Amino acid sequence: MRKGALKKKQRQLEELHLDRREALGELVLGMYVQNSWDDDLLARGSAEVAEVETELNELIAGKEPEGPSATEKDFPVTGEHRLPTMEQDYPATGEYTAEHTVPVTGEHTSEQPLPDSGEHDYPATGEYTAEHSLPESAEHTAEHEAAAPKLTRAEKKAAKKEKRERERRAKEEAKAAEAEPQTAEQKTVVTEPAKPSEPTGTPTPSAAAPTPSAAAPTPSATASTPSAPAPASTPATPEKPAAKPSETKKPIEVPPPPAPPEPEPTDPLDLLEKQITDSEAKAKTALEAAKASRQADAQTELAAITREVESGRGELDEALKRTAAAIAAAEEKAAQAEARLTRETASSREAAAEWVRGQAAEIEADAALAAEMSGKQEEPAQSGDPDPVLAARVTSLEAELAAEKAAKEEALAKAAARLQEIEQSAKLAEARVEAAEAAATEAQSKAAAAPASDGASEAEAREAAVNWLRGQISALRQEIAKSDETGKQEGGS
Amino acid sequence: MALFNRGGQSGRERRAMQDHLRELDEMRRSNLSDLGQMTVEMAAQGRFDRQRLSEGAAEVVKIDREADLIARGLEEGLTLQELEDLARGVDGSGSSAE
Repeated sequence: MRKGALKKKQRQLEELHLDRREALGELVLGMYVQNSWDDDLLARGSAEVAEVETELNELIAGKEPEGPSATEKDFPVTGEHRLPTMEQDYPATGEYTAEHTVPVTGEHTSEQPLPDSGEHDYPATGEYTAEHSLPESAEHTAEHEAAAPKLTRAEKKAAKKEKRERERRAKEEAKAAEAEPQTAEQKTVVTEPAKPSEPTGTPTPSAAAPTPSAAAPTPSATASTPSAPAPASTPATPEKPAAKPSETKKPIEVPPPPAPPEPEPTDPLDLLEKQITDSEAKAKTALEAAKASRQADAQTELAAITREVESGRGELDEALKRTAAAIAAAEEKAAQAEARLTRETASSREAAAEWVRGQAAEIEADAALAAEMSGKQEEPAQSGDPDPVLAARVTSLEAELAAEKAAKEEALAKAAARLQEIEQSAKLAEARVEAAEAAATEAQSKAAAAPASDGASEAEAREAAVNWLRGQISALRQEIAKSDETGKQEGGS
Repeated sequence: MALFNRGGQSGRERRAMQDHLRELDEMRRSNLSDLGQMTVEMAAQGRFDRQRLSEGAAEVVKIDREADLIARGLEEGLTLQELEDLARGVDGSGSSAE
């Protein structure tokens, strides 16, 4: 760094140092005035002053400071410094005029062409001005041409039928017009033989004339109004039956031409009147149709009801017959049951009478027997002496009883004595067994004490001990068996 | 000269007042700088002596008060005597401002 620059920087640092010191003094002054001391804030301010001071000292010492200088950092920490301005945001040309494309901010001036907004389709909001075509709704004003009313299927049919009728009539007229010169020719030519027409009693209606259909006797509610030249009028003007063949040459009577169609009214009132008339006619037709259908329905219903009544009557008659038969059968059964009951009652009455008679006979027999027995008992009561045989028997029995008692007492005494003997002998036997056991133990101890003696003497001693013990045990058993036998004998006696 | 008089204040008084105001301003800056240096030293020691700081700040407050008075005298064209009276009245304690 050059010397001048260093000096300049030093000067700047000195000024900054002074400013910061003063600022710190102002801070202390503010705290004093407000009497609100903040050590942290003071420390921070002091650090800033110390930073500048350090840098200044370093610069004075000839040491170039590293990093950004405090003078450069002396900006607020808001980030407002060194930020690009709005002017820098433009390209270097700076040519931003109204001729350029407009940004997508939606800010359009009058100099820029607007997008063809007027030619856009309207949204489906239903907002249509008078200049636009009307939607298909029922809202028609007088300024707009009213749309043709939608015809129903039946109305269309009726219109078609009417049209066909008109065409047919026109054809008839045309035919009649053609036939007229022919008849004139026929009148002039007399020599030509005429075909004899069949004499018919009934008038033959025109072939082209519509005949009323039998399948449709009732007019439809939706049918159109009947046309003026009704088919019924055709048979009303029949041709006279030709009495002679020459009379067939008479000209055909042509029906009067139909009235020319009325011109279509253009006045809305006339249109309305026509519509009203049409609707009235339709209503009338519908009314007639309804009446006819009601009548037909009533007839049909009546017939159905009559049939139902007849069938019900037949069913009722059959049911009545069945009921009568059932009643007759029931009466017959009841009669049979009554007869059976009568028979059973009579038989049971006879049986009861027999049983009563039998009981009476038995009672009489019992009474006779009782009378006989009472007569026999009175006879021994009158004698009164005791029987000596019976008395001897009683004394002998008493003697036997006493002897038996004495024998039993004697046997009991003997048994008690014998029991004492057995107890004593058992005690003795126990003593002997104990003595034998003691002797055996002694012998074993002796055998163990003298192992040096020969094996033969030891075996002999053992066998002798065992034999003695066996003898003692068998003797004891014999004694016990004897005592048991004697006990049993005494108990049985 | 009467045209340039502002009340009873003479030009000399005015200049004196202006000079005194500059002096006061310098003194204020100096005192503030000293106060700041004192704060830095206290921060280096790790402890702030509020008594000393209050004394230094009170000196600055006195300077501010006198400077305000002089500025008012300059604005209103008061004489030095008037200014002294005003200072006594303002002070209320009988001691005049320096």
